[in-house]
Amino acid sequence: MSENIKFTVNGNELEAKSGELLIEACENSGIHIPRFCWHKRLEPVGMCRMCLVEVETPRGKALVPSCTTEITEDLVVETESEVVTKAQEGILEFLLINHPLDCPVCDKAGECPLQDQTMAYGPGESRFVEEKRHFEKPISISEIILLDRERCILCARCTRFSDEISGDPLIEFIQRGNKTEVNTFPDEPFRSYFSGNTVQICPVGALTSTSYRFKARPWDLKKVSSTCNCCSVGCSIELNTSQNKMLRILGEDNEFTNQGWLSDKGRYNFDYLHSENRVLNILNKSEDSFNEISISEAMTKIKNKIDELDNPNVKFLLGSSSTNEEYFVINEIGNYLNKDKFLSRDSSNIYFGDDLLFEGYFGDQYSQAKLEDLDNSETIVVWAEDIKDNLPILYLRIKKAVKNGSKLIVFGHTNTSIAGLADFYFGADIVSNKFELIRNPNEIEDLKNNIEGKKVTVIAGKSTVFQKKESLDKLINFLNEKSELQVFNAFSKGNTFGALQNIDEVKGLNEFCNEFDTNAKNIVFTIGVNPVNSSFFGQKIKEKLIASDFVISLDLFVNETTELADLILPTTSLGEKEGTVTNMEMRVMKQNKILPAPGSTLSEWEYLSSILNVLGEDVNYKNENEINNYLSEKYINQEKLPTFDNLNKPSNLFGVINKKDININIKDLEEDNFSLLMVRRLYGDSSTQINSPSISMLGAHKFIELNSTTAKKYGINSKVGNLIQGPNSILINIDINEYLPDDLVIAPINRRGFENIDPCLDFDITEAKNREELNVN
Amino acid sequence: MSWDSKLIDRAKEIIELYPQKRSALGPLLYLAQEKEGYIDDDSVVEISKLIGITEVQVRSVASFYTMYKQEPSGKYLLSVCKSISCEINNSKEVIDNIKEFTGLANNETDIESTFTFEEVECIGACGGAPAVQINYETVEGVTPTKALELCKYLKEEVPEVIVADELQDKFGGTKSFDWAIEDNSGTSSTAPGFQIIGTSEEK
Ligand code: SF4
Ligand code: FES
Ligand code: FES
Repeated sequence: MSENIKFTVNGNELEAKSGELLIEACENSGIHIPRFCWHKRLEPVGMCRMCLVEVETPRGKALVPSCTTEITEDLVVETESEVVTKAQEGILEFLLINHPLDCPVCDKAGECPLQDQTMAYGPGESRFVEEKRHFEKPISISEIILLDRERCILCARCTRFSDEISGDPLIEFIQRGNKTEVNTFPDEPFRSYFSGNTVQICPVGALTSTSYRFKARPWDLKKVSSTCNCCSVGCSIELNTSQNKMLRILGEDNEFTNQGWLSDKGRYNFDYLHSENRVLNILNKSEDSFNEISISEAMTKIKNKIDELDNPNVKFLLGSSSTNEEYFVINEIGNYLNKDKFLSRDSSNIYFGDDLLFEGYFGDQYSQAKLEDLDNSETIVVWAEDIKDNLPILYLRIKKAVKNGSKLIVFGHTNTSIAGLADFYFGADIVSNKFELIRNPNEIEDLKNNIEGKKVTVIAGKSTVFQKKESLDKLINFLNEKSELQVFNAFSKGNTFGALQNIDEVKGLNEFCNEFDTNAKNIVFTIGVNPVNSSFFGQKIKEKLIASDFVISLDLFVNETTELADLILPTTSLGEKEGTVTNMEMRVMKQNKILPAPGSTLSEWEYLSSILNVLGEDVNYKNENEINNYLSEKYINQEKLPTFDNLNKPSNLFGVINKKDININIKDLEEDNFSLLMVRRLYGDSSTQINSPSISMLGAHKFIELNSTTAKKYGINSKVGNLIQGPNSILINIDINEYLPDDLVIAPINRRGFENIDPCLDFDITEAKNREELNVN
Repeated sequence: MSWDSKLIDRAKEIIELYPQKRSALGPLLYLAQEKEGYIDDDSVVEISKLIGITEVQVRSVASFYTMYKQEPSGKYLLSVCKSISCEINNSKEVIDNIKEFTGLANNETDIESTFTFEEVECIGACGGAPAVQINYETVEGVTPTKALELCKYLKEEVPEVIVADELQDKFGGTKSFDWAIEDNSGTSSTAPGFQIIGTSEEK
């Protein structure tokens, strides 16, 4: 299929791959054919007819849609003939018959394909004098998406996206002919993790998002490419701002990572930047309240405290939203305060705030996977936390690979949402409720047959903090031995891999709790992390922080963790800082700055190097670029280092894959007697999300999942109940999920109300009868 | 109303006939229509669960085809052909008379739920134009006067079962060549009759 063939367009001979679509082949040769429905990441449908061109056939010239016509040898095409022009004018006149032409109040105006192509190819005037079709002006089809059916030109991009790409077809064409409209089923809103993509690809202003509606005109926007930090896929994004406000985030089409798509979390989690709750000045705790102090006062305070405490233990708790440059400086200060200055300790004092981080599969014996490997894999094996919730774009890539013929094998019990996609789902008879393998991998026929001697990509991670590494080892080593294996370490949080690459030795929260010596003098830095709210160790960490002599938080908000601090140093966030991040493929990509740092916020590295300075250490980083140069030098492949220069050329998109030695020192948790499986959901109660009004409600839904046998044991028939543990009682929705084994109950860890639930203690579920009365949302 | 176990069993039998579950969508919609007289939201939910596609996808198909009713029909669904052969043979007047008798415009149902009137495209009875269907039972060669009599008969006698041949004898005229299979059992509902689905059992 891939040999090149010749064809002629407008008298010029061109070459393209046989089987390629005419519209795409022309595009590749620089000939633009107007279109509405065709989108290179979707299957062609030929709905809009805007792409009509003339081709020569044995019976003379004919108009054909170029988006559904494959090129053939010696095809002769006219894209600008009189007939084509007439057809284009006709099609546009038809499309505009029912279009309201309310461009002056439409968000899309200025970047609207319908507007632009009407200008370029339209007839210039309409002969339609009759009444246009009317629909109720925008209806909300979900909490975050609005639909104006009058504007819709029925191109089916949105419906195809939700069916083909995201796999949750909750919008469809309803009715026929002149009455056709896009809509949802009543009471079944367009609740998709990927719904924002339909807004981006809608060629008119029919689909809009609540967050951007009436906010700006496209020509007023300032734009810069960057990299999303919501999960470790590192999607390419474009930040759009106006008057120093982030207004919108769009997906960029990066062939290697997101291919244009974003999760709604990545797309809409930005309002927090301008939240009135954001900390903009340094806060110092005196008595029980915070007062504002200046940076020099803060630095003096830190220095005095360190002197006064006389050789304290200094520990760092890290989140995943720092840049590589920031992690690099954190590593420096960590080493300085730990090894050089005070304790001359060999082991690290830096702890990463992800319960599911463990040693993983690095080093020479494992070949590190790239996202494109999924497309070439004969089999994909998943055993990790919920991929759809935690690595949403990885889920899309898996789905795409499966559609193109890869086999999918999923191990229980956290990925039930992709079980329907899987060729084999290994539930209760293979994975125990404690996440041990009940059978040896080589005894599992369906596994063996589909991996032996084949190209396999495995997505491997702990499903729960209680899972033992050994259980995963069994599977990974088996796969590594028997197949051509590529491994993804499914550490899902933001820039985890940047932290791993730039910090000499990373430990976990359990190590933090164990190594914390209450009898010693302790200083703890928390940097962009809120373990008190989001970690299994939250309660313990809270106790340790309270017991510490001095806690310094570098963060954006006062939250469950930072409220325990003595000093809060307000930091910058996405779009307010420049730097690099590393994704799960070890692809280093650039984050760019487009907003000024608000208030008196500074970047993490600026605070940390100032602290080094007041302590007498002679560091003097001028800017991110300089730090980037230092850290780049340490990458293994010296041929192409991830310097700012290299990453900006030829475009921001592709990044540079490069490696460093990784040293994770995290041991399994000893206890494994958990009664409740607590998992992370895409939406939750992170400080950034609850301070982003356009998506904050998405993390409010409280629910548990169990199978019907388990439900029967608890005597539950209704869909609403109470989860009760000691004095805590949470009103919840009860979702029956038959993929789950008996006696396993899943609850979200990152939802309000669940922070006081201990997965190791007994709990009860009782039925609550009347849904309406209880008003559960 | 959600489906009872008998209906679900019937649905499962139908699904069995197809290599892919979703292919059973068409017949299942008829099953729903046989039950409620139209495709109600509850049936859409049932069907979507049975064949594993989303509700809106079911609704999309159900609302595309005009023979899937989106609102309850009257006891008698009067479908009058307005396509070319019938038009030439004066279907206009047939339509006018029926409209006048029932007081209904296209796609309307009367308040007593006796009649639903619709104008339809060719129903394959061109040889006997103009043609009319009552609950999909075809009567051919219906003159404007006979059409009125037919309506009156339905209104006054209120027959439970509509049998094409009977009505043809009483109200029909010229018939086209009859190549259909012998089926005189008639129909008692406004769903198109298919024995395999169970919408046209022996009455
Ligand atoms: S809403 Fe937009 S994307 Fe969807 S069919 Fe209409 S025009 Fe196309
Ligand atoms: S782009 Fe070809 S028909 Fe729409
Ligand atoms: S035109 Fe009326 S039946 Fe064919």
